[in-house]
Amino acid sequence: MRVNPNPMPDLLAALNQTQLEEQQAELQISTGKSVNVPSDNPVAAALLVENNDQATFTSGYLQSVSVVQDQLATASSTLGSITSALQQALSLGVEAGGGTLAASDLAGIANQLQGIQSQLVSLANTAYQGNYVFAGTKTSTAPFVVDAAAPDGSGVIYVGNADVNDVSIGSGYKIAVNVPGSQLFLAPGNSVFLAINNLIQAVQTNTGIGTAVNAVSAASSYLSAETVFYGNATDQTQSQTTYLNAAKLQISQQQNTLGAVDMAAAASNLTQAQTDSQAALAAIGKLSQNNLFDYLT
Amino acid sequence: MSGLFGSLSIALSGLSVSQQEMATTSNNVANASTPGYTREVTDIAAGDPIELGSLSLGTGVVLQKIESLRDPILQIQMNQATQQNSAFDASQTQMQQIQTQFASSTSGIGADISNFFNSLQQLSPDPSSLTLRQGVLTAANTMATDFNTAASSLQTQRSNIDLSVAQSVSQVNSLTAQIAGVDQQISALQSTNQAPGTLVDTQNNLILQLSGLIDVQVIPTDQGITLATSNGTALVSGSQSFALTTQETGGVQHIMAGAQDITSSLTGGSLAGLIQIRDQEIPSISGSLDQLAAGLANNLNAANAEGTDLENPPQPGGNIFATPKAGGVGAAATMTVTMTDPSLIAASSDGTTGSNGNLANLSAVATQPLGNEQTQTPIDFYSNLVSQVGSSTANTSADADSSSLILQQLQDENGSISGVSLNEEAANLIQYQTAYQAAAHVVSTVNLLLLDAVNLGMDEAES
Repeated sequence: MRVNPNPMPDLLAALNQTQLEEQQAELQISTGKSVNVPSDNPVAAALLVENNDQATFTSGYLQSVSVVQDQLATASSTLGSITSALQQALSLGVEAGGGTLAASDLAGIANQLQGIQSQLVSLANTAYQGNYVFAGTKTSTAPFVVDAAAPDGSGVIYVGNADVNDVSIGSGYKIAVNVPGSQLFLAPGNSVFLAINNLIQAVQTNTGIGTAVNAVSAASSYLSAETVFYGNATDQTQSQTTYLNAAKLQISQQQNTLGAVDMAAAASNLTQAQTDSQAALAAIGKLSQNNLFDYLT
Repeated sequence: MSGLFGSLSIALSGLSVSQQEMATTSNNVANASTPGYTREVTDIAAGDPIELGSLSLGTGVVLQKIESLRDPILQIQMNQATQQNSAFDASQTQMQQIQTQFASSTSGIGADISNFFNSLQQLSPDPSSLTLRQGVLTAANTMATDFNTAASSLQTQRSNIDLSVAQSVSQVNSLTAQIAGVDQQISALQSTNQAPGTLVDTQNNLILQLSGLIDVQVIPTDQGITLATSNGTALVSGSQSFALTTQETGGVQHIMAGAQDITSSLTGGSLAGLIQIRDQEIPSISGSLDQLAAGLANNLNAANAEGTDLENPPQPGGNIFATPKAGGVGAAATMTVTMTDPSLIAASSDGTTGSNGNLANLSAVATQPLGNEQTQTPIDFYSNLVSQVGSSTANTSADADSSSLILQQLQDENGSISGVSLNEEAANLIQYQTAYQAAAHVVSTVNLLLLDAVNLGMDEAES
């Protein structure tokens, strides 16, 4: 059979092909990615978009969790200070209720109790980064205003609201991040401010101190029980942080599986392509350097 | 005719044929790398013998014809393969360009969508923060800008393709005119019983070039050849060519054969590939981007309207994005963030500045169907688009590769029949040279003999 006397187009096509493979391998090695354009692997390219979305959100949730943890820690430590102040008030109440103190001593205790009351109002108006933490969602104004004429006799008026903010700390996982101040400090039957105000009046008048002390004790216990919310929320954020970090690792591994180049394979592909390319070049170089005309004399 | 003069005449025929053979070889060698040239071979035969009684005397050699070696079927196959390959090649080049916009998973529209919804997530623990609110608007602006860029790149590419279409049509017209011109020359030669020879090569080469642009079928007739597109539109009939025209329809150039719009019926050549991208792929991808942009803008605007902003007194949330046109046409190109004041983001669900209740509604847009008959979430819709663009590009590349292999094989086959082999020509040359020398020798010998005969041996007597 007669052969095609001009193999040049074939050789050029082969050279083109090997150079394409060479470029592909070089691109993979230089970018470290096996999917550089969607056509390299359409399914993986689509999954990488989803993967990036998950990675973005996982990092985002971790950031939110960390902010929420700071907010919870502020509220939690404030409640700790309030509980200490209440303990101090209880001791003073017990001392006042002993029945052995002079009127001037009782007046001194009443003064101290008023100091604690102010401290409690100030603590209940704690702000974190400009936001009042016990104001419900009305975080722009101090929620507790001192008013001796408060209708409930607690001596303070709550100007916050009873709303709660939820924050997502995972896909479909929301936690409440605050307890409204009215629920913490002015709960009917367990009102901290009412108990303190009653105790002050009882000491000032030296009547019913025992009952007032019991009320403070009950309010303090109630508050301790409410504090558990913050502990629980903090625990949830901590375990979620662990989970999110694990997820982040897994997402990054998935990203590698989908889109990272197998360096050994890419390097071997490159070597192979270079060898092929050189062979094609050599073939073209040697091509028909001689034909019969060279031998005619 | 026997006798010395007979021999002389026979030797002369040998000289003459050898010369013509050498001329043929010489022409082959000269055209060894001429595109479309098919090698020529001489067809020689012994001259008709003279019968003298029981003797049959030869009369030398006759050149019957000089023939170009070509396989017409192969020619048709090469035309078809070229049409296919050119169409896929043109599509592939364009798709490669389109897909670069969807190449990165960590930047571009997909990442923008993720980042935007993440900015809402960051706002949720501290909903009154102006810094975080500004972060949401910045993310929205980045997303809108990338939608605009993607849409305008696609539009620019479409316009460029449109220019190429118009240019290709004028190339087609130039080629068909040339083919018709050559056909006229061929007919003129054939009418006087002359072989058209290399003119046919020229014509075939022009048809092959035409095949690179448009799908053509070659129909040989008594009045020369007829070229028609696969839907029957005549481009050339004998020595007459019919120019295609372009006419703007719907913002793009349509190809007209007379009054007939043949744009969508082209099936081969680079024109078919370009039109496929211009009229199918790009509109489809642009349409998807529009659906995505419109869905996001509408849903986020609607979600923002459900809450209240930081104004005092609090106001219901206004639009974050300019309202897209109904149906979403052009939404990606025109996506704009109209909200400039970050305090207008309606994060609150209870009218207070510290509430983040409505951020849940805004964030939910990420996990809810896009709407307008699209049931996927925004990021799923986008990743699906990436996969479609990738598959489409990969398929076109594979088609281009395989059609190029087929074409290459046909070219090989054609080369093995029609290609000029220098070795072969050199061998022929030796043969023709030897034949010429031998014939010349015979002439010289006859000449001597004639001298002897005319001088009746006088030379010898004198010496």
